[in-house]
Amino acid sequence: MLGRPRPLSEISSPSAIRTGNPSHAAAKLRAPALLSSSYTLPFNMEEDEFLEEKTFQHYCAEFIKHSQQIGDGWEWKTSKDYSDGYMYKTCFQANEMAGACPGTCADVQTWLPTEEALDLPSDDLEVIETQAASEVVKYEYHVLYSCSYQVPVLYFRASFLDGRPLTLQDIWNGVHESYKTRPLQGPWDTITQQEHPILGQPFFVLHPCKTTEFMAPVLKNSQKINRTVNYITSWLSIVGPAVGLNLPLSYAKATSRDEDAD
Amino acid sequence: MTDDKDVLRDVWFGRIPTCFTLYQDEITEREAEPYYLLLPRVSYLTLVTDKVKKHFQKVMRQEDISEIWFEYEGTPLKWHYPIGLLFDLLASSSALPWNIIVHFKSFPEKDLLHCPSKDAIEAHFMSCMKEADALKHKSQVINEMQKKDHKQLWMGLQNDRFDQFWAINRKLMEYPAEENGFRYIPFRIYQTTTERPFIQKLFRPVAADGQLHTLGDLLREVCPSAIAPEDGGKKNQVMIHGIEPMLETPLQWLSEHLSYPDNFLHISIIPQPID
Repeated sequence: MLGRPRPLSEISSPSAIRTGNPSHAAAKLRAPALLSSSYTLPFNMEEDEFLEEKTFQHYCAEFIKHSQQIGDGWEWKTSKDYSDGYMYKTCFQANEMAGACPGTCADVQTWLPTEEALDLPSDDLEVIETQAASEVVKYEYHVLYSCSYQVPVLYFRASFLDGRPLTLQDIWNGVHESYKTRPLQGPWDTITQQEHPILGQPFFVLHPCKTTEFMAPVLKNSQKINRTVNYITSWLSIVGPAVGLNLPLSYAKATSRDEDAD
Repeated sequence: MTDDKDVLRDVWFGRIPTCFTLYQDEITEREAEPYYLLLPRVSYLTLVTDKVKKHFQKVMRQEDISEIWFEYEGTPLKWHYPIGLLFDLLASSSALPWNIIVHFKSFPEKDLLHCPSKDAIEAHFMSCMKEADALKHKSQVINEMQKKDHKQLWMGLQNDRFDQFWAINRKLMEYPAEENGFRYIPFRIYQTTTERPFIQKLFRPVAADGQLHTLGDLLREVCPSAIAPEDGGKKNQVMIHGIEPMLETPLQWLSEHLSYPDNFLHISIIPQPID
């Protein structure tokens, strides 16, 4: 073996490099209170703020339950040979163009520009609609668990209906101005192209190593006000908008509603 | 022990004789001769093929050239996998040299990551190293290093400088005196027979009773089908850096000596070749 083993000293300050320091924050991830009387948590929470895989799957299941209630389109995909899997959502959007409605993924119908909005004579509208159809973009969002960093990770990609992929710049251009109020500047906003660990295809990824840092205050606060928090809901509401994914407010109410004794 | 240090050198200096041929449908102004090169097992395709690119671009027009990509027997080669891993997994049962086809058109967007620059390779490499240290040391060792240390790791790999690389990398191979090894072992197991690109799980190098886990223990736990004898008794080969380590080898030792520069053990499970 090379060198003598030496004791590792504790980190005292965040590093200058963009890497996570899991031992930095001290927030405790409290085991969520029973969400319903029939549900028990068969697993233990670790002492620190890490998210275990079974807990991740539990939070995703709860998240999906609410998604089904409001028709938000999230589903779970189990990996063929293994017990793991991921949460995913596919949606379609007409790409940004003059007069198009802003916002998040929705059905194509909603996003095609109206004649009034474009202020054009009706025969021009036909041309625009054809263009609009060819500009429809399919967005895929996958939430996976990283066992290395013990946090969830957001993978996403976009392509035209004929299969041509969008570049990161294309995707960013498609997000309406009002949602660009938080441009790529947060420590969680490092986006790179990486191989999807289950599908083996190129996806864009929000880098996971800072997740523990920005989730710590969220978890700490939930302890303070004695309210359980769905880690996935909180996390996705923070990182999602950076890539044009927004969560309806009812997700937050869903967690607290289950909490309050009726 | 001197023997162990020799292993590090043997791993670092492993080479694969390769023959690069231009894809027949590429448009050339003159005939393109194949290009022969010894590829470092521990490096990445796009890092070591500048000469290959220059060689073929000499006989092509600028407008016919876009991003280079490589293919072996119809399979696009993932530049972000170490060269040795690609060879062991896809071509180790075939005769040398390794025959790779070079493309400059029709980049397979669905299969390959783009490699826009050397910076992209560096970013990928450093990202792997950081992930490995997250597993081994909760990121403490790599975070303690200065930016220049990170740079030295990358430059060592890029310039094929063993001593330069290991001067820093040795710190990533240490562990607390009171432990018997790393927290978890960074590994990935690859098989061409599954849709999933690789298996990666949390696995400790030391058991609760203090016994060192072996390579066999790892495989039995995370990939039992790989070493369980099939109905016909056809076994698989478990290969790292072109060799088949004994399954009794302690995983901690393998992690310290047979990891790639990114600090991961990239393990190939391949069908036993028919002689």
